[in-house]
Amino acid sequence: MHDAHLGGPLDTAGPVRAPHPGSTAGPVGHVRGGRTGHDTPFLRRRLTAPVVAVALLLVGCSGGDPVPTDAATATADTPTPSPSSTDAAPSEPAAAGLPASALEGIEVRSADEQPAPAPPAPAVLTVASVDISMDVVPVGVADDGTMAIPETALDAGWYQHGPAPASPAGTTVLAAHVDTRTEGLGPFARLVDVAVGADVTVVDGAGTVHRYTVSTVERVSKEEVPLADVFDRAGAQRLVLVTCGGNFDRSTGHYVDNVIVTAVPAG
Amino acid sequence: MTHRTRAAKILAASSASALVGLGAFVAPAQAADDAELSVLHGVPGLTVDVWVNGERTLDDFEPGDLAGPLTLPAGTYSVAITAADAEDASAPAIGPVDLPLEAGMSYTAAAHLDAAGEPTATLFTNDTSTTAAGEGRLTVRHVAAAPAVDVLAGDQAVVTNLSNPDEQVLDLPAGTVSAAVAATGTTEPVLGPVDVTVAEGVSTIAYAWGSLEDGTLALATQTIDGLHSAPAGVPAGEVGLADTGSSTSTGLWAGVSAALLAVAAATIVAVRRRGVTVGSRES
Repeated sequence: MHDAHLGGPLDTAGPVRAPHPGSTAGPVGHVRGGRTGHDTPFLRRRLTAPVVAVALLLVGCSGGDPVPTDAATATADTPTPSPSSTDAAPSEPAAAGLPASALEGIEVRSADEQPAPAPPAPAVLTVASVDISMDVVPVGVADDGTMAIPETALDAGWYQHGPAPASPAGTTVLAAHVDTRTEGLGPFARLVDVAVGADVTVVDGAGTVHRYTVSTVERVSKEEVPLADVFDRAGAQRLVLVTCGGNFDRSTGHYVDNVIVTAVPAG
Repeated sequence: MTHRTRAAKILAASSASALVGLGAFVAPAQAADDAELSVLHGVPGLTVDVWVNGERTLDDFEPGDLAGPLTLPAGTYSVAITAADAEDASAPAIGPVDLPLEAGMSYTAAAHLDAAGEPTATLFTNDTSTTAAGEGRLTVRHVAAAPAVDVLAGDQAVVTNLSNPDEQVLDLPAGTVSAAVAATGTTEPVLGPVDVTVAEGVSTIAYAWGSLEDGTLALATQTIDGLHSAPAGVPAGEVGLADTGSSTSTGLWAGVSAALLAVAAATIVAVRRRGVTVGSRES
């Protein structure tokens, strides 16, 4: 067994180099703009058998000797299940050092992934108890990194990079200006008056009606808003309505608080 | 996010369901001491088995397929590649060789042709750092038997002079890129153009693999999601009409009736008092 050749941007000394204790302990370097292994004739060693050799180049340095394993030459009694199965496969007895869980149901697929179809965008928001009925438009990120808000206070913006009501997980975030220069106070000025238990409805682009029940109404200092929570994508399904409130700081032209209404899917 | 959220003023809440108390639950992609390894088969015309620590791990692995990610405890793994019908790894075609995998890192081992058309393989480390809100990541890896290439997005070269087996990583605004691969310095595509989605918070890794000479050039893609970050805030107000108290009032309020001013003054005191109380609840 030959020593693994560890080529990479650090490889200036020549083709073959044993792993040595002085190797960098940093993460295995990936190649960016460097060349690896092309001047190493030993890697082109080929068997005379019909099997074509596939050399394994390692980029970066190993920090030391290979991890000793008892079963370096263990043989599997039976082949592992076909890799084309993406269901959980029956586990084979694992070789020492390789957990059985790693072998279960390894997904193998053609590397031509297409993005999953996006769920329909929210289209209409209704909070009947405070007379809110608004169109919803998709919005992204403004130049300063904040959530973009529709210019008119009459529309609610849906954060399009996050979940939609039909998404299986995470928070759908809708925001609208509490007031604008041209329109004065908008519908979201009434969010502070929403009661816990109020009904909220969002109709999406497919016509599906999503019903929610308000669980909290909060006014939070903008410096304290848990943005990662508000814009969560992986947890429980929620709907969050956000606007501004609290004191208006005339020196900055911004409110100091966010008003946040959280609603959960109606049971 | 830390629990500074207790500074929030709860205007109304049902039992124990305050947004500010609800930590975001995100299933970790891997435990802190695990590494992730995907394997790309980019050698045309070969069906192989891949053995890890003597265990047949990938069976009848076909060109153009991507396996994994496997979650493995950090450590060094012995990998061998055999013909697809080998009975064991005792006489591998190549190896066993050692892959050092570090905790918390994400890797793709790619079997591919080098620039001269010889089968070889490269261990890439995948960049799983957080992306900016509204952005995604595009990584381009040249693992084809072909000379150096440029990658064109529309008409513009966004990657230039990329050689086998190198990569380049770009963070881009989320959207769809019409991507083509051309010999460096030229604009005539040898691959594509094809629409590549740069999804927000997702790393899309595009591999140019196969052989230019044999006419087997192809594009393989791998994605890693969960890299997104939240926007920096929600600035949703412009005028101050919803102001709960005018602590920073200026001459704009001149002309308001005295009665209204008195009410406003009382409100200022109340709001400030609440503000102090709220602040002291911080942990």
